[in-house]
Amino acid sequence: MFDSTADALGRDDFCSLAPIGWLHHKMQDAFFLVVGTRSCQGFLQTALGVMIFAQPRFATALLDEDDLSGRDTLTALLPIVQSVVDEHRPAAIVLGSTCTPEILKMNVGGCAPALEAASGVRVYPARLDGFDASYTQGEDHVLAAMIARAPEPTEPNLVVLGCLSALEEAEIRLACEGMGVPTPGFLPSESALALPPIGPQTVLIPVHPYLADACAYAARERGARVPPVVFPYGPDGTRAFYEGIAAAFGRAASFADRETAAWAACDRELAALRGRSVAFCSDALLELPLARTLRAAGVNVPFVATPRVYRKFHARESELLAGVDVLEAPDRYETFARLTSCDPDLVVANLNVANELEGMGFAVKWSTELSFQPIRGFAGAPALFGLFASALRRHQALARTTGAVGSAANPITLDFFRTPVRSAV
Amino acid sequence: MKLALWSYEAPAHVGVTRAASSFAGVHTVLRAPKGDGYATIMFAMFERLGVTPPLTISALSEATLAGAPADIGRTLADVDQRLGPEMIVVTRSATAAVLQEPLDGEIRMLAPGAIRAQIVEPDTHPVRDTETSAFAKTVCEIVDRVALDGVPRTREPSVNIIGPSLLGFHDRSNVASLQRMLADVGVTVNAVIPLGASTAQLRNAGAAWANVTTALELARPTFERLHERFETPYVEDVPFGEAGTYRFLDALGGLLEIPRARIRAAGRGAQLAWYARTVDAHALSGKRVAVFATPSTAAGLARVLGEELDMRVELVGTYVLDHDAWLRGRCERLDTEVLVTDDYREVARAIDRLRPDIVFGTQMERHSASRFGLPCAVVAPPAHILNFPLGYEPFIGFDGANHLGDLVNRTQVLGLEHHLIETFGPRNQGRFAEAAPDGTDEPVATAADGAPRWDDGAEKLVGRIPFFVRKKARTNIERYARDRAIAVIDEATVLAAREHVGG
Repeated sequence: MFDSTADALGRDDFCSLAPIGWLHHKMQDAFFLVVGTRSCQGFLQTALGVMIFAQPRFATALLDEDDLSGRDTLTALLPIVQSVVDEHRPAAIVLGSTCTPEILKMNVGGCAPALEAASGVRVYPARLDGFDASYTQGEDHVLAAMIARAPEPTEPNLVVLGCLSALEEAEIRLACEGMGVPTPGFLPSESALALPPIGPQTVLIPVHPYLADACAYAARERGARVPPVVFPYGPDGTRAFYEGIAAAFGRAASFADRETAAWAACDRELAALRGRSVAFCSDALLELPLARTLRAAGVNVPFVATPRVYRKFHARESELLAGVDVLEAPDRYETFARLTSCDPDLVVANLNVANELEGMGFAVKWSTELSFQPIRGFAGAPALFGLFASALRRHQALARTTGAVGSAANPITLDFFRTPVRSAV
Repeated sequence: MKLALWSYEAPAHVGVTRAASSFAGVHTVLRAPKGDGYATIMFAMFERLGVTPPLTISALSEATLAGAPADIGRTLADVDQRLGPEMIVVTRSATAAVLQEPLDGEIRMLAPGAIRAQIVEPDTHPVRDTETSAFAKTVCEIVDRVALDGVPRTREPSVNIIGPSLLGFHDRSNVASLQRMLADVGVTVNAVIPLGASTAQLRNAGAAWANVTTALELARPTFERLHERFETPYVEDVPFGEAGTYRFLDALGGLLEIPRARIRAAGRGAQLAWYARTVDAHALSGKRVAVFATPSTAAGLARVLGEELDMRVELVGTYVLDHDAWLRGRCERLDTEVLVTDDYREVARAIDRLRPDIVFGTQMERHSASRFGLPCAVVAPPAHILNFPLGYEPFIGFDGANHLGDLVNRTQVLGLEHHLIETFGPRNQGRFAEAAPDGTDEPVATAADGAPRWDDGAEKLVGRIPFFVRKKARTNIERYARDRAIAVIDEATVLAAREHVGG
């Protein structure tokens, strides 16, 4: 009934400014300056909430009517960058261009070299807009800008690409040391200035399924080798991930025993999940690897909706998911129709639709959490499955109470709002 | 360009959406990049709506930049068929406005009858209007369009309550408080606008004997328009405090001829005036307070704190810039400093300079105040999830006055405790002062217990675990190590333990 072209109804997603939320925690010496409207500023404030209060390391250069009518972008940005440098003393500035500068063709990124020269602080230009990119891809664009500044390697090296927690990094480092491959450099790391060398001698391994552009950039512009990967989500994915790294350096390594042990460590969570069904709404591009590992764990996955499948970058994940229906960029109502017909035990959905789906009677796991929890690697596997298992357990526990939409305690109800005033056709 | 870290007000399109979508049977279509669509999350999360939010994005994509038409007609048709609204309000974000797409043209080109809902494009400016002004204009425009001329006044005295909306600050509680109180004095509510007002109610907007509000800055254009069209009188002041509520009812009583005895009877449950006379409240006299809020709340609350609780109002302020003169006029009798700014840092500096005993402000002032170690009560938007209580927490009317008393009571240090602290100094000093602030970061056991030792790498790694779970993680890791007779915990142990226990 409804087609699913890019501008169909209800594409539920956030702005790609969102990764500032985790990137500014990871890179403690970076400042994120966003050139945009009050709406960008409102999103940062709403989405990143209280983070602003401690020590703000992000801000918006609000476009005013002079900017809209063609004031020189560099002239406008210079004093703003200078005041950020004076007040916050960052080691580097990530300069985000948003929708409006793109519409106005302001070339914010092109100002970076001059801003850097004037301020003495490194400036990484990145597109952080809310047009088509999935919200996680803001990280992709920031990392691409950092790759552009990485030094050339002098010997074969390994770079692990993607924002990780210290725990996840430690596991990968120890695993690489065990395999006899080079100790990996991580991008990003704690300093926005600490860049691992990247060049033709580099094997670049992405850890997240939303880093296609940065990988393509590293391969194209820096000559790095980016082997096809399975992402380190779940014991099965982590094993393939490590074995893929070994193979890239011409070594044979087996993580079969580690995989078995990791599955065993997830036993309690898996007991709650095995034989149940979990469907994915389109969200952060994490859907393919998550669905793949859930299926490997004995979960029935009726379908996976995702914003986009990258034929090459997601090739191995797609292979491993063969047999599962993948909906690419479906609209909200198409997804709802699928959910109604397959009635899964658990629906994975973002904050846009989570409450709505609960209101429709589905058990929901809100997905945004999955993009900032340390759930990768063998050690992260129990946490990964735990997020799904606890959602299921919680819904079973709550089934004993009556959780009807709305609140009896509130004297003014929103009932007017729940029933259409004239019936829909 | 201007550097902005944090704003009190959302962009204009949020004001339009909040206003329009709060009417029953009205859906908003927002032309914007999907990234501007976070307003839908606010509806879903703050109002805990278990249904489709009353807002649909007509997404502006890369294809649009390459010249693809907006095709707003298709979005409108989808919304019309699927959700069946009576009115669709079309607006655009600042970003979409820059593109200057001919939306009006596309809408005019739609086949007659293709869309059954009435389509309205409010006359607001996506950059020059603020959330507040865009809200106020949109409410006025929708009411004005739907209200019919020649409607007779209701038989019994009645009012419209103008201002409450979805995503409003304690609005549902405030409406309930007003309704309860108005019922007590024999006044019926003709319509609550926009929150839940149906088209049928709006047609009869002119039937109310008077208009009242929960926030003047949101209601003023509608007040004026309805006065022009129907000569409906209005009460500008919002009923804050007990005396303030009596004054409000007296003003309304003058318009509707409400017997005074009825007004007195309606206030029987009010306890703020009596509370002010009780021993516990004696400590309030001369306490220095700062109030920074919306204009109505700032003026109303400052008066309550000063006149009804005998506190010393050092500062009154608002971030709604076009109400500067109005607020100054309202505060003349208080002899206080008035600050009108939309820069939270300026407010923080004023708080720092004045060091009041209690701050009444927004969530931002709560954070500023806590930086200076000052107590703060949150009394005004921008609304936070905490301002959507499940229960009844009004700020206005007699019930609201009681709640304000509780708020003051809970926010400041009272009576006996006050004297004890004056005499002996604050708590948390003395021999406990040496302990870690909240005990979260201490090693759980020492080497003397035969517990495993942590090597530097492991220590560093565990230091990276968020502080609120660190202690638990340490305990688990040490237990894991002890169970396996591991004498020295290294990074591998930390990871193995995490895998073993999960989390």
